[in-house]
Amino acid sequence: MMLPESVLVLMAVCLPLLYPAMALHAGWVRAMRYTLPVLPLPALVLALGSEPGWNLEMPWLLNGGLWAVDGMRRLFLLLTAVLWMVAGIYAVGYLTPYHLRRFCVFWGLTLAGNLGLTVAVDIGSFYSFFALMTFAGYGLVVHEGTNEAIRAGRVYLVMAVLGEMAILAGLLLASAAADSQMLADLPKAIAEAPRRDLIIGLLIAGFGVKAGLPLLHFWLPLAHPVAPTPASAVLSGAMIKAGLLGWLVTLPFGEIAQPGWGTLMIVAGALGSIGAAVLGVCQRRPKAVLAYSSISQMGLMVLMAGAALADPERASVLFSVIALYALHHGFAKGSLFLSAGVSLPAGWMQRATAWLLIALPGLSLAGLPFTSGALAKLAMKEGLSEKMLDFSLAGYLSPLMTAGAVATLLLVFRYLWTLAGKLETGRNPPMLAAGWLASVAMSLVAFWWMPWEVESLVKSPLWLPAPYQLWALVWPMLIAVALAAVALVASRLFKQR
Amino acid sequence: MTLNAWIPVLALMTSMIASLVIFALPEKGYRLRTAVNLGAALLKLGLVVVMVWGVFRGVNYGVSFTMVPGVTFVLKADAFSMMFAGLSAVLWLLTTIYAVGYLEDSPNRSRFFGFFSLCVASTMGIALAGNLFTFFLFYEMLTLSTYPLVVHRGTEKALKAGRTYVIYTLTGGAVLLLAIAWLHGVAGDLPFREGGHFTDSDPDIHRSLTLIFILLVAGLGVKAAIFPLHGWLPQAMVAPAPVSALLHAVAVVKAGAFGIVRVVHDIYGVEASSALGLLEPLAWLAAFTILYASVRALWQVDLKRRLAFSTVSQVSYIILGVSIFGPVAAVGGLVHLLHQGIMKITLFFCAGNYAETLGIHRIDEMDGAGRRMPGTSVAFTIGAFGMIGAPPLAGFITKWTMGSGALAVNMDWVVVVLVTSSLLNAAYFLPVLYRLWFREPEAAWPHERQWGRLETSAWLFWPPLLTAAMTVMVGVLASLPFSPLSWAELIVLREYSP
Repeated sequence: MMLPESVLVLMAVCLPLLYPAMALHAGWVRAMRYTLPVLPLPALVLALGSEPGWNLEMPWLLNGGLWAVDGMRRLFLLLTAVLWMVAGIYAVGYLTPYHLRRFCVFWGLTLAGNLGLTVAVDIGSFYSFFALMTFAGYGLVVHEGTNEAIRAGRVYLVMAVLGEMAILAGLLLASAAADSQMLADLPKAIAEAPRRDLIIGLLIAGFGVKAGLPLLHFWLPLAHPVAPTPASAVLSGAMIKAGLLGWLVTLPFGEIAQPGWGTLMIVAGALGSIGAAVLGVCQRRPKAVLAYSSISQMGLMVLMAGAALADPERASVLFSVIALYALHHGFAKGSLFLSAGVSLPAGWMQRATAWLLIALPGLSLAGLPFTSGALAKLAMKEGLSEKMLDFSLAGYLSPLMTAGAVATLLLVFRYLWTLAGKLETGRNPPMLAAGWLASVAMSLVAFWWMPWEVESLVKSPLWLPAPYQLWALVWPMLIAVALAAVALVASRLFKQR
Repeated sequence: MTLNAWIPVLALMTSMIASLVIFALPEKGYRLRTAVNLGAALLKLGLVVVMVWGVFRGVNYGVSFTMVPGVTFVLKADAFSMMFAGLSAVLWLLTTIYAVGYLEDSPNRSRFFGFFSLCVASTMGIALAGNLFTFFLFYEMLTLSTYPLVVHRGTEKALKAGRTYVIYTLTGGAVLLLAIAWLHGVAGDLPFREGGHFTDSDPDIHRSLTLIFILLVAGLGVKAAIFPLHGWLPQAMVAPAPVSALLHAVAVVKAGAFGIVRVVHDIYGVEASSALGLLEPLAWLAAFTILYASVRALWQVDLKRRLAFSTVSQVSYIILGVSIFGPVAAVGGLVHLLHQGIMKITLFFCAGNYAETLGIHRIDEMDGAGRRMPGTSVAFTIGAFGMIGAPPLAGFITKWTMGSGALAVNMDWVVVVLVTSSLLNAAYFLPVLYRLWFREPEAAWPHERQWGRLETSAWLFWPPLLTAAMTVMVGVLASLPFSPLSWAELIVLREYSP
């Protein structure tokens, strides 16, 4: 007797994996389009409906397959399933007949990879799904076929292949050190391996390509914006997190303190968080601004991962915070990307509402009170508080986070500014509007019912932060507002001359 | 003689007799010839399946008789034989189907299929040979039966390629014969035996053994296309596609690689080869070949030529695997004998389909072919990703196993070679895939033919799809019993603990 979870997880992965077979029949292309939103459904049911603790053994698969979901993977699975679903709904309305079948094939394969790597617990299937996602993702990036898309695709592919090779070498070394084919055995074995630093370096760099680690990031602002909008949303919301998940399940967190690598990641995270914001506000196109914002936000998660690497005692707590942050960022960023393709209604009331719904997920990213961002920021602040952590850089983290919050809001303003120059007035295809509204609802409302409770840090439901916390959230935002106002006035003055 | 003695002989005779019947058939007897071809292929596959099951259970299949005193003719089925025999039986069936469609309406089909069957009979003999002398007989028979296939088209280019092929392989054969005779003088008539014969050999003969090993590898290395003996292979790609498929994936290059594994494992023994210091130089040579040929492949504009250099590179994986002294790496090398065969035959079938259906020979003509021939292009894509080593396909299992094995014996540089090779493979396969799927096609194909409902003739359509499916299955299901990986583990278990 198979557990219902086993059946569900097989369906979750196999449905999008086999879906491309529909492309065999040219007449089914309409059905393919309308099936897009259904593909992540079993995964969503799995993430919401089942408690972690089960596993599915497949001894015949590769070098022995094992799929399971724990608390952290559950959040990643939820994020992946929800985001692909709302983006799928959006895509039904968004896509044009241009190479529609090809797009759907790559959509299904990429989704299968993204879901599969989230539930895979053995090295073989994890790496297989990771590679599937990477290579199939290329098809989404270059879909439009413009010169710009093809150039971006080439950079994407070169970086992706280099990343895959670093991961392969890292996993091989780690697996040989552990004498095991299971991810769970790697962290301990890496911590004790004579070639520890080589392995850690390869894995950080390999997964770092996907996660947009500074210096390995430059494909990202090229590739994420040129993809069709729903694909941009999943690239920047869900797939970017696969690199993060790769770190979390392989690196030696909680084993022994790695101050060197921890410091490196903290510095890289800080650099990404601030540097991407500086580059991002110089962008003229809304989706490029958002891509830099993703790098900037990933920088904060990299920073937390670095802290967890440096201080093994805090790793488990920081893991929960990272997962919470990833969930929050995925929804908000997905929603922002989807808003880049909507048309504005005519009446001023409706117009104002639309702008509010576009802006709110962005303000959530910046930590607006009563949003998921406030929760995530407070949890991060608590998780990285100086008195809890035990390594030399700990004192710098708090100002870094504040600077990150300022940078985030500035980027959001920049996005809204560029978007205002681009959005047209008109009617949206119903499915497009539905997908976008669903993404906003996920980010602002449904988030609160998701299983993200972080032990001892934030109690759920934390609707009302304490006054001192409110102030902590608000004053960086005020700085950003002031900076934006100064920039606005300055630009007006320049124009008048 | 008992039934167990007859089975290997029967397996050998099926293709041999098929060959004679086909030579005797008139050129126009299309249906009968196809029936004989497919019947023989199916019969042989059945016999091989019976032997695989028997060898797994420990049954001895074999026959031997003395030709002249001191020289015996031995046919014997062990686990390693069955790997090669299985490969050739399965792929012969598919290649026959493919060749029937490919050579439709072309002249001299009787001659072609006659030599084709003879060639497969030779591979069967090579697989089942029980000592070096028997091996040599079939090895030379392979050379002679493939020459007419290489020059089948009769063009000047084909004749030139055939000449190069014969010069290379006959010279290699002569060197091999010299080495075998010398070894016979030093140690007598040696049957292939798991664990080899020289584990505790007399130190006085070490010098001779080393020299003989070099000669053996040089003789066998011609067919295995080890650098610098690989020059014939890229030229031989002028042959018709099914012949290329056979040369590259099953018969010729594999015969060379198979022979080298036989010498290392079953004549010298891994321990003795390692103690004599023979393995490390061989490993370096194989590694160099892997990288050199991949770099050469980058610059080829002709699809089949690029695939040919890829073969040179991939076959050396097998050599690299067996020349690492450790069981896991050896598994990685042996399993590639099958994996490379399945993947490369897929790619050559596809190249043939593009040529026959659309007249495409060069890579820059392939723009947008994915939309016109989706089945073939999916197969090509799977084969190419397999070659790159992308998981979960066949090539990944090879790389992962070989890499783990090399790390287990502290030969870290092998991982660097594997990763670099993957990068190079990606660099010469991904641009082709990009053209297939993401470029818009030119106004017209160079030379298009229509076949009705399917994208090409059904005889050409199904074989690559089947081998592509196998490329996926042998990777995904690698841990099932009787998968190539499990079978290679069985071989190595018997070699390392005889």
